[in-house]
Amino acid sequence: MNRFFSLLAFVALVSGLQSCKEYKPELTTSTITIKFDALRDGSRFQMGRIFTDAYGNRVRADLFRNYISMVSLVSDDGSELLLKDFLLVDYSIDNEFTVEVPDGRYSALKLGVGIPAEFNTDQDPANYPNSSPLSVAGSQGMFWQWSTGYIFAKFEGKADTLGVGSAQPTLNIAIHAGNDASFRAYESPGFTLDLRKSTRTIAVHLDVDKLFAPLEGNEVNLTNNAVTHSQNNSQLARDYMDNLVAALWVEL
Amino acid sequence: MRWGYFILLLSFFSCAETNSPNLHDSEVKVRIPSAFPELVYPADNSPTKLRVELGRRLFYDNRLSQDESLNCGSCHVLSAAFTDGRATSQGLHGSVGKRNAPTLANVAWLKRLMMEGGVPTLETQILVPLHDSTEMAPSMMPIVDRLNEDEYLRALSLVAYGRDSIDPFVVTRALACFQRTFISGDSRYDRSLQGRNDQMNERELRGRDLFFSPRTQCSECHSGVFFTDMNFYNIGLFDEYADRGKARATDRDEDVGRFKTPTLRNIQLTAPYMHDGHMKSLEEVVRFYNAGGTAHRNKDGRIRPLGLTDEEQADLIAFLTTLTDWNFVQNEELLPLGK
Repeated sequence: MNRFFSLLAFVALVSGLQSCKEYKPELTTSTITIKFDALRDGSRFQMGRIFTDAYGNRVRADLFRNYISMVSLVSDDGSELLLKDFLLVDYSIDNEFTVEVPDGRYSALKLGVGIPAEFNTDQDPANYPNSSPLSVAGSQGMFWQWSTGYIFAKFEGKADTLGVGSAQPTLNIAIHAGNDASFRAYESPGFTLDLRKSTRTIAVHLDVDKLFAPLEGNEVNLTNNAVTHSQNNSQLARDYMDNLVAALWVEL
Repeated sequence: MRWGYFILLLSFFSCAETNSPNLHDSEVKVRIPSAFPELVYPADNSPTKLRVELGRRLFYDNRLSQDESLNCGSCHVLSAAFTDGRATSQGLHGSVGKRNAPTLANVAWLKRLMMEGGVPTLETQILVPLHDSTEMAPSMMPIVDRLNEDEYLRALSLVAYGRDSIDPFVVTRALACFQRTFISGDSRYDRSLQGRNDQMNERELRGRDLFFSPRTQCSECHSGVFFTDMNFYNIGLFDEYADRGKARATDRDEDVGRFKTPTLRNIQLTAPYMHDGHMKSLEEVVRFYNAGGTAHRNKDGRIRPLGLTDEEQADLIAFLTTLTDWNFVQNEELLPLGK
């Protein structure tokens, strides 16, 4: 009799284990597209068109780019899901990428503005395939050829306070910011993304009105100070990167 | 039917033969002077016959400049120990650079490249002139496209580096590979150390003793077999530096005016001197050091008035001329192919 109950218990155990093994929660995914753009007064920023910044300067952008790195979603349990390693955002064109991600609840979007030190210091762009934004072709001149590392952000154009109407500004702007000290991390505040077989778009906006505005003692006043190659006038490069990351906001 | 397949296969092979030259690569043993340290090659760029050939072709190829008017050899001329005799080099459309072209002799052993040391390897240094409008081109990608039109270069690229088209990797590796053959260690000074012929005369020996003496301290920075410690110093050239030197890379005030110690090998052939080429002769250079330089805040303490007589200055210069390696500057393997 004991032997019968033992056999019964064994069969129950095996069938129980098997049913556990067979139970697989359905792994579903969602599709998300992440877009990067620059806005002014709530509309898409126009390259080559004169605008007035917070200091009253008339400014025209001819080249406006920055690197974004390690774009990640943070799930509720704190783990991070890397969506994209490197992206060179050029605000004169559309910038987006689409990825499949596991369904779940995500509580933050994290990214870097610039290139992290381990991919920046003493690296060789010729090691990357042309398709990479870190390659010679893909970086489109966003690396310091005479020194080590990448140019994290470029803003080139013209500015002045004197012109009126359609007169073109004349003061050269050449903000080239990029060294390990000017890398900035960004994490979206108040972010909640619940994905269940969804197709979603996340827009990462750059508010140009905040880029050239006072920020906690920072001065990015283009008619006073408009040229930096980071190693010269490093303060402007740091202030520009601070303002750039403060000007980001995420729209779900 | 079987014969049909065979003939078809044969025709494929014969097509391949006509489209690409029959190239075979082999390892190259680079001869290194016995007094020199071992040469450590990058893992992805050990020297082979075809890598060196590709680098040699590219080094002297005008297609490497935007307007096809310049090549690497325009500013790095073998007879001048791979310098160009100008104060600062002339680039595209007559534009003038900011610095004196450095010698490429023994460049394989340099720890950091550029006068401020911002570039870590010879391979990455090659990106510099190819992305500078005052040198060869504002961007190397159109140049790469142009090189890819050359079937023979593509064939070299395939066999030498396993890449069927020229890309920035191939250009930088091949040029670096060729430049690592620029080895200069056969001067009269070297031969006198080895007890070979061409012994130094009395004046040169007096100059040698001065050079290595605590009185001048020349050899403290111009040290070792390469006559450079590869470190960075402010030697008090100016009260204010237009070119900030190492501070360009670090943005630190203490680095203003600090430049990498240049090698003195072949110094007789590499005039004019200093980072901006403003000193025309060795006599002017030695007079400057004898006077002790300006009182710049970052000046190295060893730069001070030396009190050398005219005779002693001439001795020092005589010693410096014994560092010329005439075999190096006449080495036909470093000239364009076919010359």
